[in-house]
Amino acid sequence: MTAARVLVTVAGVLAIAWVLWYFLAPLGAGRAGRPR
Amino acid sequence: MGAVEPSVAPPPDGTGAAERRRVVFPVVGMSCAACAARIQRQLTVTPGVRDAAVNFGTTKATVDVDGAAAGDLIAAVREAGYDVGSDTLTLAIADLRSAPDPSRLERAVAAVRGVLAAAANPAAEAVRVTYVPGFLDTRDLVTAVTDAGFVLSAAVSEGDPVERERLVREREVRDLSWKLLLAGVVALAAMVASMPLMAGEAVRGADLLARLLMPLDAALRGALPWLYAADPQSLKVGLFVATLPVMLWSGRGFYLSAWRGFQHRSADMNTLIGVGTAAAMLYSTAATFAPGLFTGAGLPADVYYEAVSSIIALILLGRLLESRARGRTTEAMRRLLGLAARTARVLREGGEFEVPIAEVVVGDIVLVRPGEKIPVDGVVRGGRTAVDESMLTGEATPVVRGPGDEVVGATVNTTGSITFEATRVGRDTALAQIVRLVEEAQGSRAPVQRLADRIAGVFVPVVMAVAIAAFVVWFDAGPSPALIYATVVLVSVLIIACPCAMGLATPTAIMVGTGRGAERGVLVKGGGALEAAAALDVIVLDKTGTITEGRPTVAELILSPGVAGQLDYGSPADPEGAVLQLAAAVENLSEHPLAAAVVRSARERGLEIPEATGFRAMEGRGASAKVAGRLVTVGSATFLIEQGVDIGPFTDAVDNLAARARTPVLVAVDGAPAGLLGLADPIKPSAVAAVRALKAMGLQVLLVTGDIRKVGIAVAGEVGIDEVESGMLPAGKVAIIRRLQAAGKRVAMVGDGINDAPALAAADVGLAIGTGTDVAIEAADVALMSGDLRAAVSALELSRATMRTIRQNLFWAFAYNVVGIPIAAGILYPVAGVLLSPIFASAAMAFSSVFVVTNSLRLRRFTPRLM
Repeated sequence: MTAARVLVTVAGVLAIAWVLWYFLAPLGAGRAGRPR
Repeated sequence: MGAVEPSVAPPPDGTGAAERRRVVFPVVGMSCAACAARIQRQLTVTPGVRDAAVNFGTTKATVDVDGAAAGDLIAAVREAGYDVGSDTLTLAIADLRSAPDPSRLERAVAAVRGVLAAAANPAAEAVRVTYVPGFLDTRDLVTAVTDAGFVLSAAVSEGDPVERERLVREREVRDLSWKLLLAGVVALAAMVASMPLMAGEAVRGADLLARLLMPLDAALRGALPWLYAADPQSLKVGLFVATLPVMLWSGRGFYLSAWRGFQHRSADMNTLIGVGTAAAMLYSTAATFAPGLFTGAGLPADVYYEAVSSIIALILLGRLLESRARGRTTEAMRRLLGLAARTARVLREGGEFEVPIAEVVVGDIVLVRPGEKIPVDGVVRGGRTAVDESMLTGEATPVVRGPGDEVVGATVNTTGSITFEATRVGRDTALAQIVRLVEEAQGSRAPVQRLADRIAGVFVPVVMAVAIAAFVVWFDAGPSPALIYATVVLVSVLIIACPCAMGLATPTAIMVGTGRGAERGVLVKGGGALEAAAALDVIVLDKTGTITEGRPTVAELILSPGVAGQLDYGSPADPEGAVLQLAAAVENLSEHPLAAAVVRSARERGLEIPEATGFRAMEGRGASAKVAGRLVTVGSATFLIEQGVDIGPFTDAVDNLAARARTPVLVAVDGAPAGLLGLADPIKPSAVAAVRALKAMGLQVLLVTGDIRKVGIAVAGEVGIDEVESGMLPAGKVAIIRRLQAAGKRVAMVGDGINDAPALAAADVGLAIGTGTDVAIEAADVALMSGDLRAAVSALELSRATMRTIRQNLFWAFAYNVVGIPIAAGILYPVAGVLLSPIFASAAMAFSSVFVVTNSLRLRRFTPRLM
């Protein structure tokens, strides 16, 4: 199971980073007034 | 009945080009507050839009347009992934049957602003118009038809907006009910059918729900032995087949909204529901059709179909309850509109005809009998009656109305018959304006809402991150079978964290609060005003018309010694009358309220008012003119001194009058003092109680007046105010408010006149009191329909109650998430061995929304303490 755990952990961290970037980045851009 | 020439509204004024205006139109397809925020963002960046607010509660967009065309706004809404609500009306066209080219008419009508489509039906002599409510001005339709060379055979009327709203709501409730029925039935059946599948599985022992279901399991085994005998694999396939339509039809809205949001890089509660149920469904589908994947790894191939159906069912149940509650929040509006009369009796061509009120035009002579409602606004031409204006002012005592007096539509005629000339009809009547004001206020957003929106925008992605993190932790460190536990936790966290309660917290409270206010004669012009009125430090009260009745009368007249002999005017037997006559002649040309009192009092004495020439006025201080060859000067003591009059003989009398709250007005003839008038303006009986209540609310109360200092102090003393600013011109009142604001105080101003309008606008919250002038109402944030100062207290109390409700709502919505998410993530498992089933999570989520809406509805019972 160790390989699976490593895989899931890495995938999870990547997924978290992507979710936060995908949804939160536009909010910051909007505030800075840049065109979307 | 109806046997009358069709009357058509007058043509528009011809202005329609790039103008600043506010449009309110319905938006369809929103399922949560984040959708509203998304549309709002799209509208705000549209060129030619100054400001936009989209309210999820009323499903309406309120846009301040500065040049943008209707099409731009519609395009913006569609770009955001939603659509504008449309409605239809029918134009009756005379002789359309024999018209050579009906399509020309179609094109002309379709070109009108706000019209989406027009379809002529020559057989029915009608054109069916699909339009966006809020954009369309029916007068434009009339012009378009006329310009195209056609004649309308009936007046154009837009459907009743409240009725339309009710129908939309009804459709929504019906649609949700059917979807809920399917999801509910499948969820129940799936739960029963899952019993044999989960029976005896150790893993379920941790689940709260499974523990509760254990006794049920035993009972079911006895009742439905065949179910337990069935092949587990067939049961799973059967559940899959039953769950599919629940996802595709009942839950379709969630997935569509989630997808639309995803495309715009925004996440909302639909994202959470969508991802949560989709995860449960995918897992179950894999376990059904490829059980080898699980069993091969030593895991049981468990299914969660019952979770998918019940989550969708519970969320739909929440939406259904919410939709019905939202319908109730607009009840106040419905009641307001319900006040309007349906028909009017008009006199035309010597006959009396009953016509729908939509067909009454300006200039019509309308007949109203005792007990009937006055249909539109107008001026009485004949008859005398008492009118119950309580719907407008909240004051129960009927007021007498005779020739020349104004009457207002929707008020009730009590005792006599009157005829009146219609002066304002349709969307110009006072009632229509009130309704529009309330509608705009309900659709507006309080600043506190912007904060809630911003938090919700960040909240959802963070929850998704937490859910993934919980999945990883459970997978890596959780008990076996880890994949199942991790999945359960992932789904539960996503489901429990729905921020819909947060999204509903502010708009529902504002809607109910402003609606309740309207019922009590307090018209709040928006969420911002409501929020500001709840956090005030100082309240500035104008004297005339606010604390006093605003109808001063000449209470005393003191003549200068020997004036009778010198004056040589009027009857020698009545020197008082002569002085009053000369003063009235000058004041007749002035617009000051005190001047009106002098004129009135002269008339009441039966005195004729002579002609005056060469009138000159000094704003707020006095005036002079030539009357019968004499130079007559009327005004305050300072004004007369400036004019070179020696007021010596009156100095003591002036002080004495002022100390008794009577305004001294001096009259000089040819530079010599002739008389002194003492004008009394009675204090409103309610003012004392109101001032006491304002002080009890912790407010600093300040009186401002244009009157002299001594009168101001006397009036303030009578009502219990300690601070007075006197001798104030309009600009002075503004300066005082600015000075207080500069000292960090939040200031409210209560006033009624045109002269108060600048101060009303300068204050953080301006309250226009009573039958205040249109200008004052326009400048104010809150319009009080009654002249009672206690209404101002009610307005502040209502604001405080509404803000309290909003804070409670936000608190509970956040608290619920703060507690719910860790439990769903399994934080109690190591301690108590308890996990939350996704079904429990969705029930909790639905409950939180219903709780917030119910809490807001409590405001419907708000009753001010004083009235």
